[in-house]
Amino acid sequence: MASNFSGVLQLTDLDDFITPSQGCVKPVKIEKKQGASVAKIQIEDDGSYVQVNQDGGKRKLEKAKITLNDCLACSGCITSAESVLITQQSHEEFFKVLRNNKDNATEQKVVVVSVSPQSRASLAAHFNLSSSEAGRRLTTFFKGLGVHHVFDTSFSRTFSLLESQREFVERLQRKEQDSKALPMLTSACPGWICYAEKTHGEFILPYISTTRSPQQMMGSLVKGYFADQQGLSPHQIYHVAVMPCFDKKLEASRSDFYLDKAETREVDCVITSGEVQKMLEEEHLSLNDLEPAALDKMFSSVCGNEFLSHAGSGSGGYLHHVFTYAAKRLFGEEVKELKYKTLRNKDFQEVTLEKDGVVLLSFASTYGFRNIQNLVQKLKRGKMPYHFVEVMACPSGCLNGGGQVKALPGQNPKELLKKVEELYMAEHSQLPEDDTDVAELYETWLHSLGEEKAKELLHTHYHTVEKMINGLTMKW
Amino acid sequence: MKEALSLVQRLNAHPDSRCWFVSWSPSGTLLASCGGDKAIRIWGREGDSWICKSVLEDGHQRTVRKVAWSPCGNYLASASFDATTCIWKKKNDGFESLTVLEGHENEVKCVAWAPSGNLLATCSRDKSVWVWEVDEEDEYECVTVVNSHTQDVKHVVWHPTLELMASASYDNNICIYREEDDDWECRATLKGHTSTVWSLSFDATGQRLASCSDDRTVKIWKEYPNEAGQGDLSWKCVCTLSGYHGRTVYDIAWCRLTGALVTASGDDSVRVFKEDESSDPDQPVFSLAAQVTKAHNQDVNCVAWNPKEAGLLASCSDNGEIAIWRFQEEED
Repeated sequence: MASNFSGVLQLTDLDDFITPSQGCVKPVKIEKKQGASVAKIQIEDDGSYVQVNQDGGKRKLEKAKITLNDCLACSGCITSAESVLITQQSHEEFFKVLRNNKDNATEQKVVVVSVSPQSRASLAAHFNLSSSEAGRRLTTFFKGLGVHHVFDTSFSRTFSLLESQREFVERLQRKEQDSKALPMLTSACPGWICYAEKTHGEFILPYISTTRSPQQMMGSLVKGYFADQQGLSPHQIYHVAVMPCFDKKLEASRSDFYLDKAETREVDCVITSGEVQKMLEEEHLSLNDLEPAALDKMFSSVCGNEFLSHAGSGSGGYLHHVFTYAAKRLFGEEVKELKYKTLRNKDFQEVTLEKDGVVLLSFASTYGFRNIQNLVQKLKRGKMPYHFVEVMACPSGCLNGGGQVKALPGQNPKELLKKVEELYMAEHSQLPEDDTDVAELYETWLHSLGEEKAKELLHTHYHTVEKMINGLTMKW
Repeated sequence: MKEALSLVQRLNAHPDSRCWFVSWSPSGTLLASCGGDKAIRIWGREGDSWICKSVLEDGHQRTVRKVAWSPCGNYLASASFDATTCIWKKKNDGFESLTVLEGHENEVKCVAWAPSGNLLATCSRDKSVWVWEVDEEDEYECVTVVNSHTQDVKHVVWHPTLELMASASYDNNICIYREEDDDWECRATLKGHTSTVWSLSFDATGQRLASCSDDRTVKIWKEYPNEAGQGDLSWKCVCTLSGYHGRTVYDIAWCRLTGALVTASGDDSVRVFKEDESSDPDQPVFSLAAQVTKAHNQDVNCVAWNPKEAGLLASCSDNGEIAIWRFQEEED
């Protein structure tokens, strides 16, 4: 099976990934049941394993199952994670929940879909629509399937940008005491996070921004604020995120984003732009034939019936927003336009703020595995000239994510990417600090929860994945 | 056969270990060897014999699989099973470790310098091929990571004049890469071998590539203009040498001076093949010119023609030895 992992993990059609090492070698914990010490194991006709005791009694043996959490906590391969993901996070699973809602009157779930602006742009390109138009018609499509609310992760990204800005200034201020305060490395890309945790662990993790990605900010909003507002328990909500990236499924599955008390994930299921297209096909629908719907304004960045986006890169604009904020806040400089200098290749760019010949801020964006390699090596050698780096696993960033709708036969993938970029950039941008709805949520909801709880909802943690040392993983 | 291979000298290069690879310096005056003892040895001629000039130790934690000289002869790169590539710089009489290239997930199988000396390619069991760029300050940066193979990549070589490279893999294929629009891409996949491709060698012009395999054959591939005009490169297999090797062919070298091919095999032999000059360039004929059936008493891992002295070649073996041979031309 061709793998779908994108970025530094693995991906289709792009050649910028780490390939998995070998088959799964994770030792599986099996609960031993007390019983007769001698028994035979018999394979039945249906392939199941049965234990036959000396007295002739039979007991069906449980299959050892590898869960996604096992995969994420393992330094071995990453391919097994994929088959596990498919069973837990797929559009089939999403359909199953919707069907269950129709058939089962008692165990109803409120279904929420949060669509990323990158997915909107990808589907817009596929159906020759504007990005906002695609968003409106997607709302029609999902609501027609029985989805209750369709939100927009540009809205939750406003939180990610605001938190990143504050985190950067806070890190800069403690850089004298903390040698790992800077450079701050962005954290929105799950492929990069997975690679950092598995390969460079303790060394690199302190540099990574603790700010949650837009997907997981939305997780907090939906299973926290929204659940409260609706008088629902988090597990009564089924939250689906539509993302440009397969690795986002891994992110949603992290234990950090699991609500222990409610026994539910903040984001239950992630489906890619490509999977949404597949869903449309399975329903024999095209976005072109659907009527646009009014937008759900609760958690959406909209002006009238148009979506609003953020300035800067198609990967969230982290560099742009942190740069302009820091320039103003720390040096009183109003930066109107950022000048990106392309370095080694198009996926390695730099922006600096200079005053009287002195470099005040030096920021960079590094996309793709090759540039991430150089970033890590420079850090290791103590030759890091940057204060902030926007890191993305995919070449060209999120708009080129592994989960985006694939080019049609005969369509040039590079031209398609250009079209997606243009559609994405065509949405009007809004300054994060100008979003009054977000400001109000900070004022009311987050303020009322207290600083500690607010931090928990807006930030996250990273964990070193210990290298497994046993005979099976020895690399001959 | 009038031609013959005669032994010049046998060196116990890596005692109690395997000698994996030998590489002549561009001037042909030095020979570098590496082995399972984690060491690299530099051999030079003194009078009539070859002696060990220096030993490069402590660079690697595990087997050193390949060594490569930079085109200027001042640097040496070593690829190791410890997942790193070490760059050594000539200093006075010896070599000092300059930098260590990290990034491969596991065993680095091969390293090769581009003809310009500005680029270095490495490949690994992690299935990837990396290109590194060197700047004036001896800093190395990763230019690309290409994953075109589905298995362990055994060997990587550069075209003699162009920035074009080829890799050989356990997946039985050969990939040819070129830089295209900001990044390196595999532009041709050469399929034909039925088992692991162990090594590759371009001829002097770079228009032909010889490959050797665990399927016990040698194949000659030739570049053709692409009928479609643009796009992928077109390489076709124009000759297969089979029936000569009793076991895996581990290495092949194409002499840039004489055009002779030499192979190293798991059947302990070293064989030299010469091209029939009257044969059709689209169906060239190579015939066995000379062979030593017990060149070593174990697998022969590598063979290398001296780049300046026609007919001089070195081989090395699992038994830790290096042998230096002279291939005698007909006239002699």
